[in-house]
Amino acid sequence: MLQLLVGQTLNGVIVGTLYGIIALGVTLTFGITGIVNFALGEFMMIGAYVTWYLFDVAGLPFPIAIGPAVAAAALCGFAADQLLFRFTRNNLINGLLVSIGLISIIEAAALLLWTTTPKDMGYVLSGAVRLGDTSLPKMKLVVFALLAAVMFLTYAALSRTWMGRAAYAYAQNPEAAMLMGVRTEGLQSAVVVYSTALAGFGGALYATLYSLEPSMGGLYILKGVEAAILGGIGSLIGSLAGGIILGVTEAVGSIYLPSAFRDAYGLIFVVAILLYRPSGLFGAER
Amino acid sequence: MRRLIWLLGVALAASPAAAQNVLKIGQIEAQTGPNAIYGYMSSQGLALAVNEVNKAGGFKVGDKTYTIQLMASDTRGDPKEASIQLKRMLETDGVKFVFGPFLSNVFVTVEPYAKQFNGKFLMMGGATRIHDFIGTPEHDFLIRTWNWDAGPRGFGNLMVDRLLKETGAKKVAMLFQNDQGGKVLVDIYTPLFKEKGIETQLEMFEPGTKDFSAVLAKLAAGKPDYLFPSYSDAHLYDIVRQSTEGNYFRKFFLVRGSLGPGLKSKDEIDDYFVYVPKYFEQAEKTDPKVAKFIADYKAFYKRDFPYDQAPLCSSSCYDHLFMLIAAMQKAGTVDDVAKIRKELLSMTYEGLWKIRFDEKGEEIFNFDVVRLQRGGKIGVSSIDVQ
Amino acid sequence: MKALLWLPLLIFPALVQSNFILSIFTFSFILAIAAVSFNVIFGFTGQLSMFHAAAFGIAAYITSLTASFFQVSFWVALLPTMAFTILISLVVGSICFKFQLRAFYFAVVTLAFSELARLVILNWNSVTNGTLGLMVLDRPFVWMPGTGLLKIDGVFGWYFFSLTALIFTVAVCSLVLNSWIGRCFAAIRLNEDLAQTLGIDTFRYKLLSFTLANTLAAIAGSLYAFYTGYIEPAYLSINQSLDIIAMVLLGGRSSIVGPIAGAFVLTGLPHMIELSGEARAILYGLVLILTILILPQGVIGTLASLRRAA
Repeated sequence: MLQLLVGQTLNGVIVGTLYGIIALGVTLTFGITGIVNFALGEFMMIGAYVTWYLFDVAGLPFPIAIGPAVAAAALCGFAADQLLFRFTRNNLINGLLVSIGLISIIEAAALLLWTTTPKDMGYVLSGAVRLGDTSLPKMKLVVFALLAAVMFLTYAALSRTWMGRAAYAYAQNPEAAMLMGVRTEGLQSAVVVYSTALAGFGGALYATLYSLEPSMGGLYILKGVEAAILGGIGSLIGSLAGGIILGVTEAVGSIYLPSAFRDAYGLIFVVAILLYRPSGLFGAER
Repeated sequence: MRRLIWLLGVALAASPAAAQNVLKIGQIEAQTGPNAIYGYMSSQGLALAVNEVNKAGGFKVGDKTYTIQLMASDTRGDPKEASIQLKRMLETDGVKFVFGPFLSNVFVTVEPYAKQFNGKFLMMGGATRIHDFIGTPEHDFLIRTWNWDAGPRGFGNLMVDRLLKETGAKKVAMLFQNDQGGKVLVDIYTPLFKEKGIETQLEMFEPGTKDFSAVLAKLAAGKPDYLFPSYSDAHLYDIVRQSTEGNYFRKFFLVRGSLGPGLKSKDEIDDYFVYVPKYFEQAEKTDPKVAKFIADYKAFYKRDFPYDQAPLCSSSCYDHLFMLIAAMQKAGTVDDVAKIRKELLSMTYEGLWKIRFDEKGEEIFNFDVVRLQRGGKIGVSSIDVQ
Repeated sequence: MKALLWLPLLIFPALVQSNFILSIFTFSFILAIAAVSFNVIFGFTGQLSMFHAAAFGIAAYITSLTASFFQVSFWVALLPTMAFTILISLVVGSICFKFQLRAFYFAVVTLAFSELARLVILNWNSVTNGTLGLMVLDRPFVWMPGTGLLKIDGVFGWYFFSLTALIFTVAVCSLVLNSWIGRCFAAIRLNEDLAQTLGIDTFRYKLLSFTLANTLAAIAGSLYAFYTGYIEPAYLSINQSLDIIAMVLLGGRSSIVGPIAGAFVLTGLPHMIELSGEARAILYGLVLILTILILPQGVIGTLASLRRAA
């Protein structure tokens, strides 16, 4: 039983980083543009399908396929920002609804292109690492390392570069930041595009682990939002931590409790957090 | 008020005087949405068949030649949408032959309404819940276009027999999606295994689950011989890969789904039993009808043939249109539903499948059992249930 | 005067006898009840509740289960439904408002409660039959002068029954929203902190708005269950909530009757034009986006302001 627990805790951590990368996008977008981009899951789907196409159909090596996949997601993100999200800045409800409309459109386009038949990409790396009786798939470990690296790099970039500090400043006090010469428009667009690129990157890695369907985005955005709230909206490290907590809760919860309720465990956690510590586990007190 | 006039206009426009010699065929299936796999493939199969009939100049009944007008709406799996669509087909458009639904929730919703038209139309659907209604009074309109798991000729029964005979399995772990299909599988297979002395374990998962490690680990702790996982490829790819990589299961027993997930991990699995309505990869080489069907599919949809999904039902729907036409020709009418039904129930059709219906109107068709073993060794047995 | 606007709908079935058209109307009426009631909390009080589908679905289950289990009529079964909806609204609402959850956080927590309710119904197999859903075979009876007890069955019966329920809902909403209660709701929507300072008990009024909206949605859910004759856990799905939101936005969130137009368009449109499933999903997305970006007041709101300008 201990083996089971250890194995699933590790697995939950890895799965949780995938939630975390979406949560990071949610947190960044919310902090800078004041909306929650529910369509982030769809950008993840775009990244995943492009990766699948380049790797399986066009036959490119995986590390090369990631680049265009992230670029495609970011490009779609840029188009969505210029055509839609530019008009919903700081309007939470409109932003939410526009992103829901966008989900409908992107998902239908994916259905037209790739149909409901699931795509299962060829294995980039198969096999598992054995630790006693616990075995962890190698690819999952690679995915974990890459995602964690990207999240820490984002954190570093935000605290070290001018653009990053501008973003921080803007999130804390928009007027003051504007007075100090932060160009709002550009900053907001950059953040929206960056978070879609993150989602695309998450999607590219997702494709190495799971089979793809056009509807895959819906689940991940819900988990991403849950993770962002758990960690505390606005906290970058919190989104990683929130994702991991969610992943572990689900994995360990499924061992001891019926797995049909798996989605409920995270939700209960989120409600409890919002009631007793509304700023999340890692957020600054409001 | 303007909306009212507009609606009136649409209502009038929607019911033009029936053009001569056009047979209207309806279809209510989910073409999009989370439960669309079956409906999507069915709607492709039927559209392909209709296109072939019309391209050949239609079909002859008596001395009249008919072409087919297909009215296929997308229900999205929403019972509300489906019931409105069916009302429109039956009342406004006077459709007498409706294909679908494959989804049980849709069927259960439209059933009380459809019953009022008993004797006036035929509903040829694959939904599992049709089994509960077919053959009861007031349900002569039903024809179930999919074979049933249980019972002496049921494919599930034959599959479990085969598993027992070939492997002597003692314990099976069932891992099903928590939806209509999964629930029905539990209800059918739990007693089936018990009857044959096989122990079972059960876990349900939320639709949309991608990472099964935790639940697989939990099931594997009970040390069952075989894993009997879900029914849709969307999950099977993930379940099979995660089972083998996590070293939870290497033996699989499936009654729905395809060979694809097993082939993909062929060096990691030990055994993979799968019920396949038809093993297309092999049949394509031996059966000219199958080869033609695949070529037609590629030409019509301009995309690759989905070997892993199409056999499930696209082609089964495809056959049914030709079977219906044959029944009309035998009955000498395209209107007399009772006569056509009688012909359908008494004939055996040799299309891609050999199909006939039992006395209640439930389909019996031949199928293949494919057993895949480590390294990709494939054994196919064709089961003749006729 | 305004009441006369209902007149065309009352004589409509005499003109169009098509079951197909009338059933679109019936579905639209029932969904319009859900949309109009949702607008009480959303459009008029300014709180984005995601609990609406839950109230709708829970009511559908309680009413039909009570009716079939205790063999009582629709009306009697409606009583425990109302009682439970009020109770659960008070509980969920109190939790959310006590802890000062606003905007996004309110939406997320109500969504979480809604999902939990769905998961309970989904997995409580012995009572709800889980994913397989339940058939609802009973029909409501109404007393009519002259004919006595009348069973609501068939297309005309349901048309008038659901229309009456919609008129009742609109009447209740107008009564409340045009009173001082409605003005308190508006104050909360415009500036909650200011409303608080002015001495409005925002907690109490938000709770009232939330409970009223859910209770009316419970009527819609009960009708929907009895009309379609089938209930399933998907009634409580997120998509159901989103559909209702889309109806309100399309129709217009600033008027009481606006959402009715939205319900009609979104229910009827898919059956008016022949489109493939994918094309329809794209059209739905476009309608939603364009409404928000170009017609933020919705169809009815825009028409009203055009008339004012003219």
